[in-house]
Amino acid sequence: MTEAALAVTQSLVEEFTECYLKSLGGTIEKRGGTWEVSIPDSEDTELPAGSLSLLCGPDRDKAATGESLHPEGEFFQRILREATERQPTGKLSIEADRDDVEIPQWIKEGDVEVRGAQFTPYYDRTAIVVLFEVSIETVSEYQQELLRAIAIDHRSEQRLPTLEETFLHMTLITTNSSPTTTQSSLSETDTRSLLKTAQDQLMKSIQNEIEEIHNEASRAADAEVEEYRQLQQQRIQELEEERSELSSKIDDLSDTINGSDQDNRVEALKKRKEAKAEYEEVDAKLSTLQKQRDQGFPQKQDEIRKRHSLDIRVTPLTVTQVEYERGEIDVELADQGVSRTVTLGYGSGIGTTETVQCSSCDSVLSVENPLNTIKGSLRCRDCSSSND
Amino acid sequence: MGSYDLVDVEVTHESADDLLDSVSEEGTGVEHLQSIQAVRLQAGQPDSELRSLKELDENSVKLLEHQVDAAYRALFEMDGKALLADEVGLGKTIEVGMILKEMHFRETDESVLILTPAQLAKQWQAELREKFGLGFVCNYDDEFEDFDAHDYIIASIDTAKSERHRQTVLNRDWDVLVLDEAHYVKNEETDRYDLIDRLSYNYAFFLTATPIQNELTDLYNVVSLLRPGLFGTRDVFHQYFVNSNQETLVNRDELQDRLNKVMIRNRREDTDIDFTDRTIDTRTFNPTPKERELYQAVSDYVKGAYSQDQGQKLVLMLLQKEVVSSPVALKRTIEKRLYEQSEFTHADELETILDLIDEIDTVTKQERLLDIVEEARDNVEMGRVIVFTQFRATQQEILDRLAAEGYTVHAFHGGHSSSEKEQIIEDFEEEGGVLVSTDSMSEGRNLQFCNMLVNLDLPWNPMRVEQRIGRVHRIGQKRDVFIFNMALKDTVEEYVLERLYHKIDLFQQSVGELSSILSRLEESGTSFEDQIFDRLVNADSEVDLENDFDAMAVDLQEQRELADKLEEFNNGVFEGFDLGESDD
Repeated sequence: MTEAALAVTQSLVEEFTECYLKSLGGTIEKRGGTWEVSIPDSEDTELPAGSLSLLCGPDRDKAATGESLHPEGEFFQRILREATERQPTGKLSIEADRDDVEIPQWIKEGDVEVRGAQFTPYYDRTAIVVLFEVSIETVSEYQQELLRAIAIDHRSEQRLPTLEETFLHMTLITTNSSPTTTQSSLSETDTRSLLKTAQDQLMKSIQNEIEEIHNEASRAADAEVEEYRQLQQQRIQELEEERSELSSKIDDLSDTINGSDQDNRVEALKKRKEAKAEYEEVDAKLSTLQKQRDQGFPQKQDEIRKRHSLDIRVTPLTVTQVEYERGEIDVELADQGVSRTVTLGYGSGIGTTETVQCSSCDSVLSVENPLNTIKGSLRCRDCSSSND
Repeated sequence: MGSYDLVDVEVTHESADDLLDSVSEEGTGVEHLQSIQAVRLQAGQPDSELRSLKELDENSVKLLEHQVDAAYRALFEMDGKALLADEVGLGKTIEVGMILKEMHFRETDESVLILTPAQLAKQWQAELREKFGLGFVCNYDDEFEDFDAHDYIIASIDTAKSERHRQTVLNRDWDVLVLDEAHYVKNEETDRYDLIDRLSYNYAFFLTATPIQNELTDLYNVVSLLRPGLFGTRDVFHQYFVNSNQETLVNRDELQDRLNKVMIRNRREDTDIDFTDRTIDTRTFNPTPKERELYQAVSDYVKGAYSQDQGQKLVLMLLQKEVVSSPVALKRTIEKRLYEQSEFTHADELETILDLIDEIDTVTKQERLLDIVEEARDNVEMGRVIVFTQFRATQQEILDRLAAEGYTVHAFHGGHSSSEKEQIIEDFEEEGGVLVSTDSMSEGRNLQFCNMLVNLDLPWNPMRVEQRIGRVHRIGQKRDVFIFNMALKDTVEEYVLERLYHKIDLFQQSVGELSSILSRLEESGTSFEDQIFDRLVNADSEVDLENDFDAMAVDLQEQRELADKLEEFNNGVFEGFDLGESDD
């Protein structure tokens, strides 16, 4: 699915800044790489009212005074922050050009000629498009930030992937973009419910990405567990050696006790007592460790795996009501002297809304298996070639 | 690759209340559109292009496409943690220079630590300064205080890991870490590995031409330092990617996918680098009767002494090499043996050898060297020639002789300090003449301004020969390169040169090709030098010796075939890591 984030090039920075400042009622006078900007005193902005020099482009003169305008520049970042908060919800409408319809891929990819196509809208429909920011974080991987658009039809509550593409295309930054707004309005309750559906659809759509990061985090956690296990194993070996040394020491002392005079015996007894205490301490430590090892260090494993857990945060950033038209398209097809008009359900910005099956094998026509002939009936490439 | 469902996934949906509150607000379409655009810009990667490129001086550095591509990918596609694994000679230092320049431009480089082998530190410093205008303090500079006193440091990795500095290095959070010759940290049980493992940094760039030295574990270790967890545990890595006999690779596609996230490898054949021609002129001279007599005496002595005591191998080998380098080199070793180490068993023989040395008044190689240097004076810019010898005594004698003949001479050997070495190279570039160098020159130093090289004597280690050549024949060399090899007829040198080096086409091989042959050979347990020496002392007759060397040449051919197999293996691993991996 398409990433909605835009690569922030210098030219986009300049275009957006120009549009934004103009929308505030400001003026811009460009002199080479320097823009003389005047910003009106307005409630809509916290940018300082008055005149300002903006220094643009790679050739910006370091000696010149003014704010520099570049992707990481403070001025541009400020504009972005302000613009995101200005109107995060709103309405757009997609007006269909009746003759300029999107021919479905299963026709385009096939061998049948398209003579013409016309869209007849029957009703207005509403969908919402939500831009979600998804942040995926785990200790072993770089934090990933995704920005995704999800479109949900109001009436059917179905996802409209093509509308997402259309929306992203409509909201690209060009100096002459001027959106058409719509009058109809969804209630907050409707919007809330659609937003919930959009969230569910979003999670489905990013499943693979999450899965991949999840696998990598698990691998990293496994490596850590393994490292810990080896370390403990080493510790166990050390303790075993220590215990065995102490055991020998105790044996030696016992021998001394049995075969020496009283003074030495008392001294040896003392030492043996100390050695036994030490032995027990080591033995206890060892048993604990061995027990933990036999159980697979559950506590440590749990701790490590918790630390590696994936933290996914989903934040809806904008909600747009998009009005579009639904109706039908008539597509005129021609093939080997035969012509035929196919009527299909269609929506502006969402493309065809129904699938078509091959009359011979009933499989759905698709990019992979497109329409091959219209003689007699609509048939797919697979069927046509097997009949040749 | 096993089951990985044990790590939790927690999903938090942030509240949409504030957002939904604004649903009913009246606003213009333009304002909403701009909010959407602003959100999309905010989420975007800041302009992923190398903006600092425009600031580079084209006269100082000529950037090649694969280098720009590597710098771009390391910065923008690998989030600033990358293993730069181009083959030798493709300019990995330049790639790092570009990366550092770009980070400097974007002000994301408050503290940078570059760790290199000791002998390369100054060269890194000079290159970054001259080509990229980046000022670094090197731990060999007088002004260097400690690792917490400067923000841009180039240091030898061994200085950084030393008792004295280690804690200071580790106490600091570095923005950028650069590790040159990263294969030095392939072994996880070394202090070097431990240092890198504990260092704290945001961005890291590791460089090596040979990510796989012997086995895939090397790669595992280096990559795991850079991106812990990318390959999971060592055992899992082994079970999953390497079959039991360590020779073949399984699940290659997945390995490549994972490596592709962290490694960039350009191969020479895929780049548009146009190396200039290399002309080899091997000159074999008839020794004078006295020289011949000396050579025979030394060879007989070596053979006899070795048959009695194999523990003396190293010194005997040294004598055998010195006798073809110069009598004066030989003389010192023999005197030392006689008078300092009190060698009694063969005292008579050694005394005879000393007498023979004293009888030599004409040293053939020195005389003939004058011819070559004379040719250079007439044909090469500023008469610049580099003469390599393995021995300091030979070096000194040549320097004296050349100076006496009126040549400008420069001496370069391991005894100079780093700054002296810098100065010597600078003087050689400015004044021209003859630079007589021992093999301490062989690593890293670039002498592209010179295109003529003389091997006065030949190391029995082919890598050393190629390293010598590599000083002059690399990117940046604009002229054809001339290599002169000097050897005395009927000596070991002639055998090595004619029967072995020419057999493996040594003088036309790149380091990468050669090292794979030799590392195979060394893995088999014996070094090239040992093999030569053994054949020399064990042959019963001249014919035997010839046959032995021919047999060794056959072995070499076999190693070469094995090396081809290894290369195939490496290529298998790295297939798809060539140019233009970027999807853009």
